Amino acid sequence: MTNELTAPGPHVQQGLLPTPFFERLNAFSKTKNWEDWAGFLSPSEFQFVEQEYFAVRNAATLFDISPMCKYRISGPDALRVVNRLVTRDVSKIRVGRVGYAMWCDEEGMVIDDGTIFRLSEDDFLLLCQERMYSWLHDTAWGFDAAITDESEALCGLSLQGPTSYSILDAAGLSSLKDLKPFDLRNPEPDLWVSRTGYTGDLGYEFLTKPEHALALWDRLWEAGRLWGLIPIGTAALDLVRLEAGFIAPGQDFQLVHHAERLGRGRTPFELGFENLVHFDKGHFNGRRALLKHRASGPRKHLVRLDIEGKDPAEDAFVYTGRGKKVGHVTSAAWSPTAKRNIALAELDAPYGGSIRQGLWVEIDVEKEGVWKRREAKVTVVDGPFFKNRRARVTPPGPY
Amino acid sequence: MTSAQTSFDVIIIGAGHNGLTAGAYLAKAGKRVCIVEQSDVIGGMAQSRENAAGIMAPRFAHLAHNFNPAVIKELGLESKVSLKTVPTIYLSPDGRHVDVTDETISFTDGTPHPDAEAFAQLRARLSRFAGLLSPLALRAPPNLSDGLSLTGLGELASLAKLGINLRRLGASDMREFLRIVLSNTYDLILDDLPDGPLAGGFAAESIWGAWSGPRSPGTVFSLMYRYGVGTSAQIPQGGMASLVTALADCAQHNGADIRTQHRAQSVMVENDSVTGVTFADGSVLRAKTVISSLAPLPTMHLVGVEHFDTEAVRRVRYVRGKGVTAKINLTTNGLVDIPGLDQRRREGRLVIAPSAEACEKAFNAAKFGKIPDSPVLEVYSPQVTEESGSTNDHHLLSINAQYIPYHLDGGWGDDARARLQERVIDLLSTYAPSLRSQLAHAETLTPLDIEQETGAPGGHWHHCELNTDQLLTVRPVNGMAHYAYGVDGFYLCGASSHPGGDVTGLPGRNSAMRLIKEGLPS
Repeated sequence: MTNELTAPGPHVQQGLLPTPFFERLNAFSKTKNWEDWAGFLSPSEFQFVEQEYFAVRNAATLFDISPMCKYRISGPDALRVVNRLVTRDVSKIRVGRVGYAMWCDEEGMVIDDGTIFRLSEDDFLLLCQERMYSWLHDTAWGFDAAITDESEALCGLSLQGPTSYSILDAAGLSSLKDLKPFDLRNPEPDLWVSRTGYTGDLGYEFLTKPEHALALWDRLWEAGRLWGLIPIGTAALDLVRLEAGFIAPGQDFQLVHHAERLGRGRTPFELGFENLVHFDKGHFNGRRALLKHRASGPRKHLVRLDIEGKDPAEDAFVYTGRGKKVGHVTSAAWSPTAKRNIALAELDAPYGGSIRQGLWVEIDVEKEGVWKRREAKVTVVDGPFFKNRRARVTPPGPY
Repeated sequence: MTSAQTSFDVIIIGAGHNGLTAGAYLAKAGKRVCIVEQSDVIGGMAQSRENAAGIMAPRFAHLAHNFNPAVIKELGLESKVSLKTVPTIYLSPDGRHVDVTDETISFTDGTPHPDAEAFAQLRARLSRFAGLLSPLALRAPPNLSDGLSLTGLGELASLAKLGINLRRLGASDMREFLRIVLSNTYDLILDDLPDGPLAGGFAAESIWGAWSGPRSPGTVFSLMYRYGVGTSAQIPQGGMASLVTALADCAQHNGADIRTQHRAQSVMVENDSVTGVTFADGSVLRAKTVISSLAPLPTMHLVGVEHFDTEAVRRVRYVRGKGVTAKINLTTNGLVDIPGLDQRRREGRLVIAPSAEACEKAFNAAKFGKIPDSPVLEVYSPQVTEESGSTNDHHLLSINAQYIPYHLDGGWGDDARARLQERVIDLLSTYAPSLRSQLAHAETLTPLDIEQETGAPGGHWHHCELNTDQLLTVRPVNGMAHYAYGVDGFYLCGASSHPGGDVTGLPGRNSAMRLIKEGLPS
């Protein structure tokens, strides 16, 4: 007797899944170095991380963002639901705009962050890392809004780098010339383009249906022939996002739904996002707890550090001049563009807040089997390490 | 007191016994209180209403199992509420009924019962354990949300006291308490007694009003809860109506305004604080404190779920509370005789639960949406105190029928209601053969009817199951166990708040005491 369970072969798909772009990615991959991103095959790099990194800053790159979770929130109460979900006031995000947002649990601890695409007055698309389907349903309970998981109904590409607009132009999308940062447009059927990204550079993100995936890739690839376009993996992306000062959930802070130990969650204040918490918009999840946190002050500060020397301070502890341990580095790298040794670090308040001077990191460096411990002075800095006007100018320059 | 007044310190939604109790405490503390009630009569589940035969009769609850003496004392109701013990008889199909009212358990014909000693010992043990837990019922549950700190020590005091008292029981009793507290009455009782009417009646005491059978875990706890103020059922002199009247009089005497036929439509909120209540007719009453004696979800809907965190809404949505008790009110011409019972016992509380096994079987039917062949019954004959326009010799038979599912297979219609009524009358007729010939009027309230009249979801006595997963710091739900209900100035005081259901007065009292202690928003 044969049934679903006894039939040969897996009855559920096992292992990491290919995205709609996999055929193209695989053809370019020299290292075949794939990693697990939300259950999908995602490239760590195609050949050389350095080459991919410099392409982001000097030419243009394609990165497959299909594994992002994509949720549609639509209906008469869609705005109320999204506003109930996130800490910022979504009514200020106009139709055709994209906004970065965080959302919290009832204790004011960040569940995840993501981008909200306002497709129409009552139609939103939420892009984030974590699965949120049941959370969104719970948030929308009692409201007239439909939640649809479009994670696999849509796929996406991120085109990033100074020549990315030139590629759009060559690809016949010059109508997007006046697209400002965080603008969103639907230039063709089944194609959404936003001027957003995770690199701090000029760039665009595309969403389309899986059946159009390869055509979109080929169209951009063809247009990018003269503009230095190459695909990149997560390693290069991690470096450019750190330069741009963007935080990585799960790395720079713990997502509260994954943290099992008490006190491991973080508030938006502790991550440096006071400006994204809008108490005057009415109730939203975690509002009462966040009011208390605002009154009692942050327990931690996630800060950007400029570190003496050139050895990346990965996993290093941060000390005061007297040797008191006050935190640790969460992300670190040598920034080839800023020519600085940069890091993100979580410090115990008030360090990183009112006390920003006299801090050190202890870096353990291994060179050919020999470990050395270096102490390096750090400076807490405001703003991104990499900032370039070209990322914001509209219309974008023809680099 | 003027009905033109539109501004109060506190508005209480629902004039059930808890709403009235909270109102009486707050009014006594000098607050300007208005209690609003959707129905035309006060009392909620404890209300009395004129039935079709023109007799004032308790509509739902007909006895006070557990009304707390602290409420009577603190409100100064000693002269108005005098509770007397009602004899409890466990009926047997063979006519060998058992009187369990006093320490001496015997057959109603006076012959000694072979299991009297075992029963008395077990009940005394449970009662002693219940005494340990009862102090916890008299204050808000401990609040440990700020962790174990020096300032939180006060919160721990009640738990610490329970621990100390447990130790004082001695090693063997303490071990026994911990062994049985989370277990089920079926096992506990049948360890000591053979199954039969005595064991069945005993088991039934643990399941009244609850979605659980004697074999359900936590039923031992429910029994201890019910024995918190003693093991016998009580009736106020003058009936249930006199208790409700005494509470209402106390509130009104202290200046509270009670407005019936005032259905609260919504609670108004500004800047995350309540500002008042709107009514169906468009009128508005203002107050900075609003207390709801409704169940958790209807209470949430009054303000709107958008004012609550997603987790809170989720917890409240999934509160367990399936109504499973119907009420059948019979009016008879003359007192219906039950062979084997003398006059005193006939007017007592009669339990029809032939065995613990039969109880559990009846629950099985309810689990599958069916009316059981033999429901478990609690029968009481309230005294006729007031009868309008009739000189007939009318008597009442007030029946709680257990294991009548709210979600009946096929839904509740007139046919199903009639079927239930017939089944209960048939069952009772086997003990009272003359019932049908004396029957003047019958009225059946299904769990759905009870819900529609009182607003209690599922028609559930306790608004939500009274079991160990919904107790103390998690009653009704984690994070909202201390009467405060999300929005500033919004509170809960009904059966779903600590310590729980039955006609005890305690949730209303504790909620009001917390407000008085912490001060009202001004």
